[in-house]
Amino acid sequence: MPITTKVIQRPEPGRVSYLRAAFKGMALTLRHMVNPKTVTQQYPEEQTELHPRWRGTHVMEVHADGRPKCVACGLCPTVCPANCIRLVGGEDDQGNRYPIVFEIDEFRCIFCGMCQEVCPVEAIHVGRDFENAEYTRDRFVYDLDRLMQQDHPSTLLWDPSDPKGE
Amino acid sequence: MAKKTTKAGGAEAKKTTKAGGAKAKKDRGVAVEKVTLTIDGQELTVPRGTTLLQAAQDAGTEVPHYCYHPGLSSPAQCRLCLVEVEGAPKLLPSCTTTVADGQVVHTQSDDAIRMRRGVLEFYLLNHPLDCPICDQSGECDLQDHVFAEGREHGRGREAKRVLGRDDFGGDVLFYGDRCVMCTRCVRFMNEIEEKPLLTVVERGDRAVIDTFFDEGLEQSNWAGNVVDICPVGALVSKDFLHKARAWDLEHTDSICPNCSQGCNIELHTRDNLVHRMKPRTNLEVNGHWICDYGRGRYEWLNRGDRLEAPVVHAEERNTAMGWTAALEALKSRIDTLGESSVKAVVSPFWSNEDLGAVSRLVETLGGGSVVFRSPRAEEEITLPGYEGLARRKALAPNVQGAELLGCTRVGDDAAQGGLEDLMDHDGVVLVLGDALDDQPEGFAPNAALVVYLGAYTSSALASADFQFPVTTFAEQEGTFTNHAGRVQRFWPALSGPGAARPAWLVLGALLGALKEEEGPTRAEQAFGLVAKAVKSYKGLDYETIGAQGVLSAARVPVPGD
Repeated sequence: MPITTKVIQRPEPGRVSYLRAAFKGMALTLRHMVNPKTVTQQYPEEQTELHPRWRGTHVMEVHADGRPKCVACGLCPTVCPANCIRLVGGEDDQGNRYPIVFEIDEFRCIFCGMCQEVCPVEAIHVGRDFENAEYTRDRFVYDLDRLMQQDHPSTLLWDPSDPKGE
Repeated sequence: MAKKTTKAGGAEAKKTTKAGGAKAKKDRGVAVEKVTLTIDGQELTVPRGTTLLQAAQDAGTEVPHYCYHPGLSSPAQCRLCLVEVEGAPKLLPSCTTTVADGQVVHTQSDDAIRMRRGVLEFYLLNHPLDCPICDQSGECDLQDHVFAEGREHGRGREAKRVLGRDDFGGDVLFYGDRCVMCTRCVRFMNEIEEKPLLTVVERGDRAVIDTFFDEGLEQSNWAGNVVDICPVGALVSKDFLHKARAWDLEHTDSICPNCSQGCNIELHTRDNLVHRMKPRTNLEVNGHWICDYGRGRYEWLNRGDRLEAPVVHAEERNTAMGWTAALEALKSRIDTLGESSVKAVVSPFWSNEDLGAVSRLVETLGGGSVVFRSPRAEEEITLPGYEGLARRKALAPNVQGAELLGCTRVGDDAAQGGLEDLMDHDGVVLVLGDALDDQPEGFAPNAALVVYLGAYTSSALASADFQFPVTTFAEQEGTFTNHAGRVQRFWPALSGPGAARPAWLVLGALLGALKEEEGPTRAEQAFGLVAKAVKSYKGLDYETIGAQGVLSAARVPVPGD
């Protein structure tokens, strides 16, 4: 595209009236008074619907008998780019491998969702939630019990209406 | 079928493994006939009798295999190492086919790859694919080969065989589902330990490895090796179960510290803790094997009761100091004492460099005696199938090195007692490494100066004039001399706590200050000083010792060995 130059003539001072512009502005304001268009969202009384792939605080899926689905395979701490997952594996009384310690530091987490993507047993998920304020910093390290108690929906890895990402 | 092959291969295996140690000598004596062949378009010349698999390894091509292991016989039953040889009617197992002149071998031809793909699919018919909970995951041959050459998706519709897990006794746990029936473990027991405790029961697709009735692997002293040679996660260590993932572990070449055999090992560490010990191949010392006694004793490297800062005892008080201040205080104490007789206790768990620095310091201070105490076992534990490998009687890695440096052994077989004349000594008492756990508090009350260089806090030496934190062998570079006089290097696997430094560095700095010269700053220099002092180390340096060690010129007989 060729570069073109447009010269704008500056009106001489003292020969311009601002009345027209002032009326134009007032007209817009008055129109909104008569016919209001709401843009402001009344949060927290009103909640936005989160996108299905919104990535927020984590959720640990639980078996029917209340055990965590995690098998302590160690892939999520390996893949985590922020190094925010601490995992110590062990064996429960039924001989199953399970996490003795599973902690996620939500402050360090960058919510990339790779832990969910890499999980071979679909145990750890990032969730559709963002309201996670706390009074102390150490409350942001979520341990296994807390992750299992999270009740918000988990994030979908892909858009259900477009599973192939087309 | 599997059992028969194993037995047939037994005699052959004995030959190969026994020859393993003597192979180098044989090569030197007789001129071996050479054969020229082509592997994957690369022409190479190898001695006649080499197998295709070894020749391919020399050429830099790793042919996938399960049943073949360099230390065992080759039954050629895993069928994964089949390669295409031009002129042969079908693919040949490369682990048993020997080279021939003018042979043209393709390991990556369409036929070979298609065959491997097929064989791997069969392996996965019953394999549970429980990689997330399998301890072998990350160092598993099946995982690697299937990832590289296997099918993306299985086609099996039948339910997989489920066997659960079985306690084989000792430190070994058996997950039957994961087994690929390579029978390496059975062959190890038959050929190397020569104590057939494992066997294949049932046939065909019901075949499974098992022990005989209630005779488990607790009767074996070398059973840990079957865990190492298992290519999949069928045999796993109870001690290591669920402890760490293979890819998290850092591997550092080291020497087993639990007897004077000096087996070459790797220390596997994570978070500055040793998680396990694995053998490192050295055909001159331990082949591919280490004993269960040595393998199981690594916990002391993770001990938490460590000295972390130099402590100076003055006016009834212990004060922690920095290195410079503490060494200056010690130097001024030595200067005021003048020449005095020294009695030193060292530990054979410390390196040649450290022990050499002690003997240099003893000489500089006015001469004296250096003793060491070392635990001893009643009997050796030999491995019948590998000559020259045994758990030795002397249960410390550097007894020979201490003897070569002129230290004498005192005390009993539990490394206790024998320090009566040190207790009343009125000169300088120097202790390296030995925490004197059997001695009463306030050791050597009449001594003019007591210096303790140790890794661990000691109640006997809690009021020593100087306590210096030093690193253990796992935290520093150095050498051990094994029972046969072989000098072998090890490398730092952990970082020492707090201000702990290698003893040779601390004593070297002190000696440097006393003599007004430069002390050694690298382990290599410290070894150079030892090599100068000990005749049989003549001409040795870190480069010649290398990763596999060098037999030193002389062997001093250790009393009772």
